[in-house]
Amino acid sequence: MKRSQRPTVVAVLLVLPLVLPLVLLGGCGVVARPDAAAWDDRAAQALTDAGSQVATVRLALASAGEGRTWSSYTTVLVVQAEEAAGRAEEDLARVQVPAARADTAAAVLDLLDRAVDLVAEARARAVAGRYDDAGLLDDLDRLEGDLRQAAP
Amino acid sequence: MKRYFAVLLGILTAIGGFVDIGDLVTNAQVGARLGTSLVWVVVVGVVGICVFAEMSGRIAAVSHRATFDLVRERLGPRMGFLNLVGSMLVTLLTFIAEIGGVALALQLVSSVHHLLIVPFVAVAVWIVLWRARFSSIENVLGLMGLALIAFAVALWQLGPDWGELATGLSPAEKPDAESWATYAFFGVALFGAAMTPYEVFFFSSGGVEERWTEKDIGVMRANVFIGFPLGGILSVAIAACAATVFLPAGVTVETLGQVGLPVAIGLGKIGLAVVVLGFFAATFGAACETGLSTGYSLAQYFGFPWGKYVRPREAAGFHIILLVVTVTAAGVLLTGVDPIMVTEISVVFSAIALPLTYFPILVVANDPDYLGEHVNGRVANTLGVVYLVVIAVAALAAIPLMIVTSMGQG
Repeated sequence: MKRSQRPTVVAVLLVLPLVLPLVLLGGCGVVARPDAAAWDDRAAQALTDAGSQVATVRLALASAGEGRTWSSYTTVLVVQAEEAAGRAEEDLARVQVPAARADTAAAVLDLLDRAVDLVAEARARAVAGRYDDAGLLDDLDRLEGDLRQAAP
Repeated sequence: MKRYFAVLLGILTAIGGFVDIGDLVTNAQVGARLGTSLVWVVVVGVVGICVFAEMSGRIAAVSHRATFDLVRERLGPRMGFLNLVGSMLVTLLTFIAEIGGVALALQLVSSVHHLLIVPFVAVAVWIVLWRARFSSIENVLGLMGLALIAFAVALWQLGPDWGELATGLSPAEKPDAESWATYAFFGVALFGAAMTPYEVFFFSSGGVEERWTEKDIGVMRANVFIGFPLGGILSVAIAACAATVFLPAGVTVETLGQVGLPVAIGLGKIGLAVVVLGFFAATFGAACETGLSTGYSLAQYFGFPWGKYVRPREAAGFHIILLVVTVTAAGVLLTGVDPIMVTEISVVFSAIALPLTYFPILVVANDPDYLGEHVNGRVANTLGVVYLVVIAVAALAAIPLMIVTSMGQG
């Protein structure tokens, strides 16, 4: 490398580590305190994400029940859906609820909690190789409808 | 006969090697959320990669020298360095995503967590880069990648409403729930996935490795103009499968397991096994290509011996780079970062780095000192300039769209 190039290279290498953490830390407070509209957006996103995971689990169990997937594939799909549903609930639960949304928040978090519980139940059945529970598939269907309806 | 076989093999490996983790994930995500309304971007991206791959292949065949070597010489060390840094960062990011993709594919058949698989994948990739012949890497993994044709077969078996799929090709058919900003973000991501810079570097460096001459330009063009578009059809099939199964169900794609689920629904266990083999081949093949590309680009820029046909002792620097990037990639993945997230970031940053990659190729392809009578003709130059404008727009729009849509969340 030529001597004339060195200042440019050094400048890039020095500036990047200094600027990046500042940019990343700029948006991070201890607690997120969105206004009502921003909270609505977050809630809608959490409900949509959870609904997507519930629908994935339903598809995975139905496919496994028809012998279209093998057990490890189904297990991985359902476990990852369970983790993602849990993340959706936790992310929203960590947000400070605006006073105007106290009642709505309770209902939304309750719905998300139901989603996490039902997906966990589905995971337990998938790991045990019990895919043919029509009642569970119906429950997943209903819950997915509820989540979709609750998300504006 | 041997020549026809070479053409056929080249086309087949180009098809099988076209799709990587970025194409798999981005096409499935787009299909699940936006149906087939962004297929036109895949078409634009495939034509673009054909235009620049042909140029870089022609440069390799005529000058017998690789891209970074010529860029540094023709445009000077500063422009060459900028080109190197932009391309290297994106290629390294893609390399990390590909190794993560291999681990995710193996997780689907073993149910062992991908973090436990990553070190073994990294060692396997490094051994292949160290020991395997260039043609073996290209041909074996490229041909295995053809297993992804299962997506097209599955689409047929799923029996979608073909009229609805065709109608959905229009951007006006974008689902109402998605904003235009989200539509544009995924458009840029798809474009970045289709035109990933490493594909061109690997293609041209491979040409130098295999000692292409002017006589090979015809075969090279057949590989590019037939193989890449057919590879693009696989990308469209992935998006259409996701559009058929996930869009009505309201599922967004976040895992590799979800990408394969429509094939399981359409074809059952055997089809699923074939497609998981395709996942493995596509990601492992791309891991080798991106790993080699980082070694190629650094070695070519700094001018030390490189390549699979040079003895490791003579190309020690090249092989040390391969080892360092493999260890780095495994180290990054072992922090617990989600390989799918790395993939999403890599395709967007790929779009950002595109001008740095493709502008120098256009300049060198126009220089008669290097290409003689094989310099760009009017068609290649017109397409090259038009694509540079498109690439510049995509690169400028990428970061604002990433921020506005929170990486496509909404």
